[in-house]
Amino acid sequence: MSFLRNLLNRASVDQDLDAEVQSYIELLTDEKIRMGMSPDDARRQARLEAGSADRITEEVKERRSGVWLETTLQDLRYGLRLLRRSPGFAALAILTIGLGIGANSAIFSVINGVVRKPLGYPESDRLMFITSQFTSLSFNRFWVSPPEYLEYKERTKAFSHMGAYTTGAMNVSEGDQPERVNTVFMTASMWSVLGVNPVVGRTFTEEHDIPNADPVVVLSHELWTRSFASDPAVVGKRIEVQGTPRTVLGVMPPAFDLHDAGAQLWAPLGLDPANRQNRGSHFLYLVGRLAPASSESQANAELLTLLRSWREIAATGHVPNDSTHRVQMTPLRDDVIGNVKRALWVLQGAVLLVLLIACANVANLLLARAESRHKEFAVRTALGAGRTRILRQFMAEGVVLSVLGGLLGLALAYWGLQALLAANPRSIPRATEITLDPIVLGFTFAVAVATGLVFGLAPLLHMGDKAVSQAIKEGGVRTTANAGRNRVRRGLVIAEIALAVMLVIGAGLLIRSFDKLTSVDAGFNPANRVTFGLVLPPAAYPEAQRRVTLHGDLRRKLEQIPGVQSAGAMTGLPPFRQVNANDTDFEDYTFVPGSDGPIENVDYYQTVFGDYFGTMGIPLVDGRVFNEGDAAGGPVVVVNEALAKRFYPDMDPIGKRLNPFVTREQTWFTIIGVVKDVKQGGLDAPAGTELYFYYDQAPRIAGSAPTQMNVVLRSTRPIEALASGIRQAVREMDPALPIVQLRTFEDVVGASVTRQRFLSLLLGIFAAVALALAAIGTYGVLSYMVTERQREIGIRIALGAGGGQVVRLVLGQGLGIALIGIVIGIGGAYALSRLTASLLYGVSPSDPLTYGAVAVTIAAVAAAACMIPTRRAMRVDPLEAMRAD
Amino acid sequence: MAPTNLLQGTLDLLILKSLALGELHGLGASRRIEQITRGTFQVKPGSLFPALHRMQDAGWLASSWGLSENNRRAKYYKLTAAGRRQLDVEVGTWQRIAVAIRFALAAT
Repeated sequence: MSFLRNLLNRASVDQDLDAEVQSYIELLTDEKIRMGMSPDDARRQARLEAGSADRITEEVKERRSGVWLETTLQDLRYGLRLLRRSPGFAALAILTIGLGIGANSAIFSVINGVVRKPLGYPESDRLMFITSQFTSLSFNRFWVSPPEYLEYKERTKAFSHMGAYTTGAMNVSEGDQPERVNTVFMTASMWSVLGVNPVVGRTFTEEHDIPNADPVVVLSHELWTRSFASDPAVVGKRIEVQGTPRTVLGVMPPAFDLHDAGAQLWAPLGLDPANRQNRGSHFLYLVGRLAPASSESQANAELLTLLRSWREIAATGHVPNDSTHRVQMTPLRDDVIGNVKRALWVLQGAVLLVLLIACANVANLLLARAESRHKEFAVRTALGAGRTRILRQFMAEGVVLSVLGGLLGLALAYWGLQALLAANPRSIPRATEITLDPIVLGFTFAVAVATGLVFGLAPLLHMGDKAVSQAIKEGGVRTTANAGRNRVRRGLVIAEIALAVMLVIGAGLLIRSFDKLTSVDAGFNPANRVTFGLVLPPAAYPEAQRRVTLHGDLRRKLEQIPGVQSAGAMTGLPPFRQVNANDTDFEDYTFVPGSDGPIENVDYYQTVFGDYFGTMGIPLVDGRVFNEGDAAGGPVVVVNEALAKRFYPDMDPIGKRLNPFVTREQTWFTIIGVVKDVKQGGLDAPAGTELYFYYDQAPRIAGSAPTQMNVVLRSTRPIEALASGIRQAVREMDPALPIVQLRTFEDVVGASVTRQRFLSLLLGIFAAVALALAAIGTYGVLSYMVTERQREIGIRIALGAGGGQVVRLVLGQGLGIALIGIVIGIGGAYALSRLTASLLYGVSPSDPLTYGAVAVTIAAVAAAACMIPTRRAMRVDPLEAMRAD
Repeated sequence: MAPTNLLQGTLDLLILKSLALGELHGLGASRRIEQITRGTFQVKPGSLFPALHRMQDAGWLASSWGLSENNRRAKYYKLTAAGRRQLDVEVGTWQRIAVAIRFALAAT
């Protein structure tokens, strides 16, 4: 209670105390007068005996309960006042800490949103993602076929619900602008798996999810808002999707998605439960919800039993087994996050290093201030300030700095995140779930307080008894450097440089691997190429020949656009697309199980149109490419070098035949040419085997033709100059056709490495910040040393020391610090190199070139930071230096 | 006689004892302690006031402003009920210590 009273009536309590001490002195004076002293002597004597009135009140205040809170507030006010008095120092310190904390909060929000937060479904940790694994083809995460899904679902008990889905895209023609949107095709059971209800209407059920059912669709909240003005009346209406009217059943809540598909439409998969023949048709991903009573390990055990007995279910055709064709499950969240987790933790480690460097810098600044203020402290100690009180004020200054820095950091984190996500929307999974939430705020607060304590404590290191008494003795006169103090300061700078070296080496390795990655030969020339997607819905273009004819007409129109040299089209867009892994029968070759020979399976099928190889700049190695004569000729294919090497290692593939099962009857295609490998599985993966088909032949020989094609144009004119001509040409063909993602091929290649770019860009920025901070730290320590030793340097010059000797003195000290830091940093980077190894491409984690370059760079930066202090040392005027203070 | 450094914990006992007969102001308490210890203990304001305030916060003392014998405004302290109980406790403790120390010194 008295604690509260003291706090609430602080002003009156203080007044009361002052009055009490005054009255004591008066009473003492009276007493002395009574004993015969003159009033003046008595008053003087009384004051002397009572000691300083301030000191008494100070001691009472310190003992009073509640004193800690009051003095804390006072300390904080004092801290603020001090900072206001030196705005330059305050701004520098707050900015430094703000940068450190901001970077940490931003990266932590990413980790929080991506790695830590559960997925947006009820009890989402019960959701399991199920895929196939073909060990002999090294496909680690492959699709599941419909019969496998049905059998799995029927024969396991560990899951309460199980569903299958596949992703695609459909044209929605609503309003004046046709649009192509991502679509998830899934079984009706998937709604029970995910457990999320629509905000308007309902979802589809088993009756919609059968072949040839009345077509229905569920809208995403985003599409509903964007294209249908959030009109609830759209439910029950029919909208035109992919040239077919579909009834809208409902609208899902905002941000509802499945495995980052970016789904705008949800449509039934329409599997036929009776059809168990299509065992080789792997195109489904499975998600299961664990039953309340079962665990992940139970489900795994059940899965293993099933794998071992699958042969009993289907005697013919390939079925899953536990050696070559496994079925595996992982928690859905782990699969969504994928390999980005490690990259994010590396980034978090990096920003932590930046923060440590920032702390070291601010600690150094505070130390320097503490030293220049020791006279002030001496005076205050003599006037009765308790030593703990002075030390607390140091801490208070640190806390004020770190809280202000934390606020700035929060603002920086907010803007930084916006910029980050705007610049790289697709480079990290779950990007839409990244926000500054209470957990991030708590993290920031904790970091700020820890930071404040760390550098607030640093000045305490030399504020012991000795410092105070020495300060009094010195009377504020600066003497030559105190070895203890300087050891702390030098240690901090060495630590800073070592941390910066580690960070810069890490960034250097990533930047070098990014450079290697982007200079990889993709097998085609992305420069001066423009591409866009075009989908001809089967509903509007039911005959395959009409689709081919449209592409022929379109090609002629496109080639008439001024500046366009040639045009072509392809089904799959390199350098990164989904693998096909299609079984293919090679004539005169049979795979013998257990042998070293290749399995009869081809990684990529590519159907091409027009002068494809010329337009893309893919060099011909052997034979010939397609020509217009092939349209009416026999079935032909072009293969890539990887396929030729794998299946025809010792012979000429030209004239050999293969059957790709694209037709119902046995149709043999003759190989007419071999082209260079084109990257299809990403720039960092080896090119797989690839087969090229000719679009013009497809209707006649295969009886069908792909509906989705990527058109490519070769032109030296910029994309802006071509865009209107392209739109015009497509509109003239069919105004209902949307142009999907018109972009340069360089953008396509760039998009395939956004994650790597994102990572190396961020780490590069952090390393630059670290380098700048370390340089500032080195500069600060050295320039302080020059100021401190000004007198000594002056004496040396007076005694005849030349400029060279002064330079050696200062530069030697600065570079000595830098060298120790660099050596420690290189050791640290080497120790951490195993952590980053998996993020690198084509560069060894202990790449000597990077290490060497970084060492030289940092040494150069340190030398540059020494320049100004060195010049100042050389200009020291001996007379003035010795007269100073 | 040279003032002896107050034993830790003794100051509270002396202040409580000095106020046992009636209320006193700060200087009065200090003079009373001097008197009852025959000049052995001289309590300086630097120790006296923190102790008075601490004991008031502990609820042993109550204070009020009044007039001194020569009409000076002064703050007077008196024992509360809790303060009297505390005095008994401290006296008991002290006597146990005194007896123990006497035995200790008498031992050969």
